[in-house]
This record gives sequence, structure tokens and C-alpha cells, in this order.
Amino acid sequence: MPNPAIEFQDVIKVYQGRFSQQRITALANISFAVAPGEVCAFLGPNGAGKTTSIGLLMGFLFADSGEIRVLDCPPGDIRAKRQIGFLPENFAFYKYLTAPELLRLHLALSDEPRTGEQNLIADLITKVKLQGYEQLKIGKYSRGMMQRLGLAQALLTNPQLLVLDEPTSGLDPAGRHDVLELLATLKAEGKTIFLSSHILPEVEQICDRVIIIDRGRLLRAGSLRELLESANRVEIVAHRLDEELERTLVEHGASIEQTPDQARIVIDASRKREAVELIWSAGFDVIAMNPLKSTLEEFFLKMVADGGGA
Amino acid sequence: MKIRAIALQTFGSLLRNRLILLFVLGFACMLLLMLTPLLTVKSMASNWSTSQTQGMVLTLVSGAMSFMSGFGSLLAAWSAADAVSTEMRSGTILAVMARPVRRWEFLLGKYLGVQLLMVVYVAAIFLTGYLLAWIGGQGIQSAPWVLLVYPLVRYAIYSALAIFFVTVFHPIVSFGLVLLTSVAASIFAHSNSLPAFVPDWLRAGIYSVLPSTELLSETRFLTLTRASLTSEPWGHHLIALTYGLDYALVCFLLAVWAFRKRSLSRL
Repeated sequence: MPNPAIEFQDVIKVYQGRFSQQRITALANISFAVAPGEVCAFLGPNGAGKTTSIGLLMGFLFADSGEIRVLDCPPGDIRAKRQIGFLPENFAFYKYLTAPELLRLHLALSDEPRTGEQNLIADLITKVKLQGYEQLKIGKYSRGMMQRLGLAQALLTNPQLLVLDEPTSGLDPAGRHDVLELLATLKAEGKTIFLSSHILPEVEQICDRVIIIDRGRLLRAGSLRELLESANRVEIVAHRLDEELERTLVEHGASIEQTPDQARIVIDASRKREAVELIWSAGFDVIAMNPLKSTLEEFFLKMVADGGGA
Repeated sequence: MKIRAIALQTFGSLLRNRLILLFVLGFACMLLLMLTPLLTVKSMASNWSTSQTQGMVLTLVSGAMSFMSGFGSLLAAWSAADAVSTEMRSGTILAVMARPVRRWEFLLGKYLGVQLLMVVYVAAIFLTGYLLAWIGGQGIQSAPWVLLVYPLVRYAIYSALAIFFVTVFHPIVSFGLVLLTSVAASIFAHSNSLPAFVPDWLRAGIYSVLPSTELLSETRFLTLTRASLTSEPWGHHLIALTYGLDYALVCFLLAVWAFRKRSLSRL
């Protein structure tokens, strides 16, 4: 089995003010792994510790304890950085450069051979749909154009691992669609993609693995399919229930809506048989049973609301 | 290639920096201001002896060059502090450091970019000095290399100090610390300007830690008469310049050490 592309083991990061005693635990014993070739969504509400984790991963910050490995190297190692394409949150760059100048600078920083440089830059600019703006200074770019340029620089050296912090932020719906298509293409090429995003329906379309953190704690990590299956529920439609049965079902984790002649019971898929048996044994009829598929967004909201207890 | 790319980018950014453009404006104002007394001396030259005229022109040119040279120290310190802190403040450092760039390579690139700016500045002082002397009807006799190399080494010290401080402190604090260091250095260089209660061992100790920029002052070699430089042995130049470069190197290495574990978050 190949080594993980990214591995966090019991990572702790605490921020402490230079002149104050206030300590903020940004990450508390975070452990997870991302396999090569996976698309991993790194999710969490604002302030969850996503950008801190990405900072640690890239070697911009240092963990107080625990171990981090990226492409079999410690974070910040030059050998790993050669294989990483990184898009920071709120990508910023020298405003007086044009897009081709910026990409040329990044090529120089990457120590990449200069053969075919012109074509590579032109291709990338076309790929992120910035053609026609080659002469425009970056300072005049819109937020969406900056994001596209950021993606272009992340893809510049054909990296093995892409670390993208909010890749679709600032993009219009068409732009977001383009980025998702691009990510799907990269996934098909076997790239490992580690991305944080708040736009969960889009993430759900492309990711294989999901890691959810909140307030520095890991809430869940696993494959998207497993996580969503664990959160799948069923809707049972039955004749109106008596109070005793209603109470028993609620004790079994069901949520119930009663109308004058029907009851709608929603329960975890794993407990559907139990619920149906309870209804039947109490002498009520089941009219219908429908699977309710959870979306990543619903799962995420439930996780964050329950503090990972779902 | 990486270091060169960072240095050239830093130089380009500094040339567009508004505060540095203000420095250039100040430079131009200085030149204009100096023209008035110089032209006065020139118009009165027939009333004075040659040595009197030379003396007055030398005083004016030397004053102007000292002023611009001092101005250059501020420019070197500010540019160095700003070159690093702007990257951190704007977040552009993240995209740069995500590339296979080591932290010392980044700092060295920044440092060399500042030195490129200082080369341009020193060339400007040099040409201005010659221009002022020419307007005053005289010619500078000092060896050109002294007027070029000495200030460059001095600025190398100030910019290395500023880069060291900015890896730890806010850029304005860093700039202030460099100023403080340079003021303290000039105070401790003259034992008679210190209060009597400061013991000799303390004075000597602090003096040896602070940068001895007086030793690296080019204006002490400035002359309009026959070059007096020939009387300064090469060994002395070599020692003074080696001292300056060594001091700058130590400050730069301290900066590399401090930057090694610095969080690269936005300021």
C-alpha cells in the first residue's frame, strides 16, 4: 500500500500572543491521512482550523506537537514543494505584473527548465480562461480573475499534489463550474487534491474523502460514500400512531410528524427494521417507506451542530 | 535562478514603492537646494583665492554628499524592512514560499534586491557629487571606487540589520531600531560625547558591538585638491571594508536564523 500523500498524526497547534497569556488551541490532536490520487475535501466552519492545518502542511507554520508528512517529507521540505501546487486563500500577488510575467516568475522560483515556457504559459492562461487579459496588470484584475490566475500558478509545474484553499471563492457560477470541471480532469489524471471549501454541493461532486473539523477538533474523516451512507435515513409513512408508540419511536431516535390520519416517521436507515417492527407489533399499518439520501451539506451541518456525535 | 528572480522582483517592487519615490523626490529637492549656494560661490569666485573657492565648494559638496549618504542609510533600512514585511502583510509570501524556495534563499533574494536599489542610489549620489563640484567649477579628486564602495558596504550593514529586526518585529519598530543603533554607534564612537559615569570597558564593549559606520564613511576621503587617498594604505581600506562586510554578513545570518522558525502568516 503506498504511503499517504498527506498524513497528520496527533497534531497540536496553539497560538499564543507575544505579550499576553491568552492561548488559543487552533488544532487539538488532529490525525488524518489522504491517499495518493484521492480528492479530499477539508471542511469546517470559519475558525475551525482549516487554514492553520494548510499552513502547517505547507511549512508556513510549525506544530507544537505531532507529526506531519507530505509526500513522504516533512512540511516545507524542498523535495515535497517541487511536487505541490498551492492556491492560498485570498490569493495575492504583485499587482504590477501581468499574468504571463507572474507565471514566468513562478517558473523561475520553481527551478523549472525554460524550454517551452511560452507555450506552457499560454496553455495555462487559456485553461483558466484568462486569454485576452495577458497585457492587463494583476492589480486591475477582479476577484474571480485573481482566483483563476491563482489556479493557473498552482498548476504551473504539473504538480502531483494540489493544495487548494477555497478554490471557488470569488468565482461566479460559470467560473465555479469551470473550476470543478478542471478539478475533475485533474482527478482523472490521478492527481491528489486536498481542498477546503464552503460550497459543499460542488465539493460533493468530485471528492472521494471528507475530513470535517470544528474548533480545532477532528469531527469525522472517511470516504464520502461511507459518511453519507452512515447518515442515510428512511421516511416511514404509517397510519396515525398512538401516543405510547410515538414516545417509543422518539426514544429510538425517530422524528415524527403527525397529521389527522397519517404519521411521517424519519429514522436512521440502520434502525428502519426496528421501527417497522415496532409499528407492526403495535397494530399499525405501514403505508410506504422511502429512502432519504443525505447530502454532504446536510451531513456537515448535522456534524457541526452535534459536535461530531452524529 | 530562484534567488535572482526574487532579487529582481524585489528591486522592481521597491522602484514602485511610494515611500521610495518620496526619497527620490527628496533627493531632487536636495540637488536644487544645493545649487543656490554653489552658484553664489561660483559668481563670487573672482573675489576669492583658488584655495578659498575650493574650500567652500568642498564644504558644500561634502555637506550635500553627507546628507544624501545619511539619507541612503534610512533608505537602505526602510527598503529592507519593507521588502520583507510587505510580502507578509499582503500574503504574497505564501505563494512564493509554496515554491521550492528555502527560507534563506527568500531572505537572500530580498537582501540582494535591496542592494540593487542601493547600487542605483550610490551611483546617483556619485554623479550628483561630481555634478555639484562641476557646477562649482571644481573637480572631485578622490578615487571613484572609494566613493562607490564605502557607502555600499555601509548600506549593506543597515539593510542586513533591518532584515534581522524585521524577522522579529513590526517593520516600523525595526526601522526605529536601526535608527537607534546608528545613533548609538555615532555616540559611542566619540568618547567625549558620553557622560563621565559610563565606564571605559562598557563604552568599548558597546562600541565593538555597534556598527562602526564612521569607519565606513566615504566623505572622509572626499577632496577637491590632489588626491589624499594615496596616503591611505590599501591595508586600511581592506580592513575597513572587510569589517563592514563581516558585520553585514553576521546580521544577515542572524536574520536567517530568526526567520527559520518564523510563522509566515499575514502581519
